[in-house]
Amino acid sequence: MSDRTKGETVSDSPALAIEDLHVSFSGSGGSGKVRAVDGVSIRVDPGEIVAVVGESGSGKSVTSMSTLGLLPPTASTSGSVRVGGVDVTTLDGPALRAVRGSEIAMVFQEPMTALNPAFTVGWQVAEALRLHIDGLSRKQALDRAAELLETVGIRDARRRLGQYPHELSGGLRQRVMIAMAIACEPKVLIADEATTALDVTVQAEILDLLRDLRERFGTAMLVITHNMGVVADIADRVVVMYQGKVVEEAPVEELFAGPRADYTKRLLGAVPRLRPRGDERTGEPAVAGEPAAPGEAALAIENLVVQFRGKGGAKVRAVDNVSLTVAKGEVLGLVGESGSGKSTLGRAAIGLITPASGTVRLLGDSLTGARGSALRRLRRRCGIVFQDPASSLDPRMTVGDCIAEPLVINKVGDRDERVVALLESVRLDPAVRLRYPHELSGGQRQRIGIARALALDPDLVIADEPTSALDVSVQAAVLDVFLELQARLGFACLFITHDLAVVGLVSDRVAVLNQGKLVEEGPRDQVLFDPREDYTRRLISSAPVPDPVEQRERRARAAELRAARD
Amino acid sequence: MIRFLAKRLGQAIVVILLVTVIVFLLLHSVPGGPARGILGPQASPQAIAAFNHEHGFDKSLVQQYWAFLSRLLHGDLGDSYTLNQSVGSLIGQRLPKTLVLTGLSTLVALVIAIPLGVWQGRRRRGLTDYTVTTLVFVGYATPVFFLALILVIVFTEKIPILPPQAPQAQTLGALFADSRALILPVLAGAIATVAAFSRYMRSAVLDNLAEDYVRTARAKGASERRVVWLHIMRNSLTPIIAMLGYYLPVLFSGALVIESVFNYPGMGLLFWNAAQTSDYPILLGTVLVIALATVIGSLLADIVQALVDPRVRGSIR
Amino acid sequence: MTVSAPLMTEQAPATTAAGPYRRMVRMFLANRLAVTGLVILGLLLVFCFIGPLIHHTDQVHTQLADATLSPGTRGHLLGTDDVGRDVLGRLMVGGQTSLEIGIAAGLLATLIGTVWGAISGYAGGWIDAVMMRVVDAGIAIPALFLLLVTATILRPTVPVQILIIGCVSWLVPARLVRAEALSLRSRDYVQAMKAMGGGHGRAVFRHVIPNAIGTVVVNATFQVADAILLIAYVSFLGLGVAPPKTDWGGMLSKGISYTSEGYWWLIFPAGLAIVLVVCAFNCIGDGLRDAFEVRLQGR
Repeated sequence: MSDRTKGETVSDSPALAIEDLHVSFSGSGGSGKVRAVDGVSIRVDPGEIVAVVGESGSGKSVTSMSTLGLLPPTASTSGSVRVGGVDVTTLDGPALRAVRGSEIAMVFQEPMTALNPAFTVGWQVAEALRLHIDGLSRKQALDRAAELLETVGIRDARRRLGQYPHELSGGLRQRVMIAMAIACEPKVLIADEATTALDVTVQAEILDLLRDLRERFGTAMLVITHNMGVVADIADRVVVMYQGKVVEEAPVEELFAGPRADYTKRLLGAVPRLRPRGDERTGEPAVAGEPAAPGEAALAIENLVVQFRGKGGAKVRAVDNVSLTVAKGEVLGLVGESGSGKSTLGRAAIGLITPASGTVRLLGDSLTGARGSALRRLRRRCGIVFQDPASSLDPRMTVGDCIAEPLVINKVGDRDERVVALLESVRLDPAVRLRYPHELSGGQRQRIGIARALALDPDLVIADEPTSALDVSVQAAVLDVFLELQARLGFACLFITHDLAVVGLVSDRVAVLNQGKLVEEGPRDQVLFDPREDYTRRLISSAPVPDPVEQRERRARAAELRAARD
Repeated sequence: MIRFLAKRLGQAIVVILLVTVIVFLLLHSVPGGPARGILGPQASPQAIAAFNHEHGFDKSLVQQYWAFLSRLLHGDLGDSYTLNQSVGSLIGQRLPKTLVLTGLSTLVALVIAIPLGVWQGRRRRGLTDYTVTTLVFVGYATPVFFLALILVIVFTEKIPILPPQAPQAQTLGALFADSRALILPVLAGAIATVAAFSRYMRSAVLDNLAEDYVRTARAKGASERRVVWLHIMRNSLTPIIAMLGYYLPVLFSGALVIESVFNYPGMGLLFWNAAQTSDYPILLGTVLVIALATVIGSLLADIVQALVDPRVRGSIR
Repeated sequence: MTVSAPLMTEQAPATTAAGPYRRMVRMFLANRLAVTGLVILGLLLVFCFIGPLIHHTDQVHTQLADATLSPGTRGHLLGTDDVGRDVLGRLMVGGQTSLEIGIAAGLLATLIGTVWGAISGYAGGWIDAVMMRVVDAGIAIPALFLLLVTATILRPTVPVQILIIGCVSWLVPARLVRAEALSLRSRDYVQAMKAMGGGHGRAVFRHVIPNAIGTVVVNATFQVADAILLIAYVSFLGLGVAPPKTDWGGMLSKGISYTSEGYWWLIFPAGLAIVLVVCAFNCIGDGLRDAFEVRLQGR
């Protein structure tokens, strides 16, 4: 923003100054240029944390890559990126490499793929040191690497040095990435969606770590994220990007309290918030919070156990003795972190996975014992929506064929009419039925997934993270369609997600799953606002809310909770 | 690791058994059966019947297979129709020479192909990549015998600096003593495989270049040279070893052709001569030994892979 | 939530509703090597199958008086072979055999391999284990060896050669398709179809094989190239189709006896023809691979 008053909160030399940055990519067929970043200026002062938010295609990641000169050769750049007074865009070869990692460092989104699988963690951290510090022996580098691992909160650092990335958990891997990034005490640290792939509890820890590093080393940080909760939690100042441009820039409290740009307003409006029921979803038949009797339940799971063969052939229980019921017309939100077994449970509920023991009953009929045509008849009454809209539709079929497939399999007539009606019910133009899935956007594909799930008028729908792969604004629209259809058609639904705000939005009742076991189950408001179990409480307190003031209080409360636990 | 070894070994044994079944069935589809092979085409039906009875060839197929298998387990591959020698001892003399030839040319091929493939991968879509790609394509499309012929014409006729025949020595030591004569056969084998290996290497490098860890290494300040030769090479080792395992049958086929062109006294030449004279015990014995070598080779490749790659090592622990 | 309309129109990938195949064709045609391959193949097909209609030669009877004439003499553009047959005409006729066997055997191998691999990968478990051990056993015996053994047992006519080469070279496509099927069977759209009550047949033939088609088509071109090479090897080793029929490998095999006499026209035309046709198929395969990959990125 050009109207920033100079010298107000700003020290003389910024740690990072991006000025009038333009980046465009030449298309693969040599035709036309795609403008990814269009005149962006961002300034980060020493010790400051600036968040860049935006949805996919906003150019935020391209901006962050350009600060290290990591863009592919097809990119052409103009403008300047100054790190400690040196313009990075003019450097290349050894001069650029001298800056990378020592002056400015980066933490990426996916810690599993961002670390080299063939080298030990210790070697990789040591490499970051040896590349920039001359005359450092292997031994010295490893000693220093161990210290760094301790700095980022890894206990037992000596032993970890000899481990390979695949032997560590996601959270530990991201800590290793951070250790590597801060190895040479860079002036600027860029965290590009660094917590996106992590569970909320781990995300909270990593955000704490970043804050702690800022305090101790005075590192300037540029945090790239799409998550408004993360922004509210960690940022001092926020830059909002949309289609390659900065649309708004403000201190964090100001931005959340009074967004000025239209886009920011819409973006904040689309973020689901965890609030007690009453202000939304009115006109809904009130569903009793008590579990329905098994006879009338849409889905009744009893003592379900699902086992997989794990490493070395040992059996691992992915779902461990879980009992759940979903009443007719009810939405049960199933929450859990990765590896909690929530998706496995969802697939077992529809017979895609055979359980080791326990029973599943659909509308009173046993699914676990059913074979052949009896099984098919039961399955007709369920629909399933998957997480990844890219892989849930067969890329070789047209949209119309995808939606009609359940009708074809079950030999239902009048397909064209039904497909058109289904497309209209998910608010899509019926003309898209002639197109192929890859020609549509993620949100459109997910609506098609919903339309297909509803093709046979099911009594039960399993929705497995149906909006997790979508941008917030698209998620809002898809959830809206889903809720409207659920209210109109009255199907029961097992809604699986890791996002507490989404669960709060859609469910009548909520069940919490951790490491295959059912932790807690109850009416929505009770589980989300007055949880009985420690784990649920920790889960809820870890999820950052898109409000900096409230988030600060929550953080303090979470710290107390942790202190009490230790 | 032990579980993995046991499972992999079990698979290998099943595969070898299946190979013996195939060979046994082939032996049985030989016109006239073994009797005609040994007694000659003029043998009377009575003589054949007597022969068959004596050797148990009138028993059921299963019983015959069982007998065949137990003979194999004792190392008995039968006797040659034409060479008056046991197949086992014939192969024993020839196998080491074939292994030397294929081993040497594979080594030469790897030494050329790995750097070439890496280099191509880095310069993708450049003029040099196109040129080398075209050359590699031509190399891949050239039949080994045609290549060998060209080499013979060039290096023994036009510029006569090398002998056209491989060393005819009986022992391995003498083979190496005549090392000048080894050059052409080894070279012919190497050129043929360079094409395949370097393409493989090129695509392995391209795949790895797109990986996130490459970006991380660059962000740390590592040079392109370091990224490619350290980070990427380490990750491409596993596919190369796997490829060597899969490539063994092709290498043996190549040896067959090269040995027949250069008159190199290995298994391939033995096999080729046997094919001209319909000497079935030699043909099938060779097939069995080569299949065995291939199975053992890919077993070794898998084990080495598991030792080299921490991910594989981790998943089989 | 009260957001009723989408906040902003999401950017859908910029393609027309023409279906996925037009873009593939465009990608393929943009690949210079691939187009070159296609042109070479076209020219070779014309040369082998239409050439004899224009350039009439006697490829059955021997003409010992005209043996080993050098190129250009008495109307023989590429000279004559050791029994006096016109080399240019022989190249055409031999090419017919090579191409017929190569293409038919390559396609046969691809067909067997695709079905075998798709079923094995989709079924998984012990069915997969058994089917794959069979493939392992087949791969352990080098195709050339097996082919020579069978050539000594059966009289090698063209249909027999097609059948045998097809039956020994389906193993590689089977492995490739199986790997593909293994990942495709856990795709959400296959899961969704099963959840709707669809059967295994539909899963394999409507979803798995159509989605593995990229691998299959690309591999088919490589299979044809390999089959042409294989048939050349067999003929070179003296166990190819029986005379007076011949193929390019067989022509070269005869030529080898005359290397020291300097009769280059008995070696190079046939050798170069093999190189050309195999190159052409490999180039086409490479172009197809690029085209299919782009399509996959687009989804």
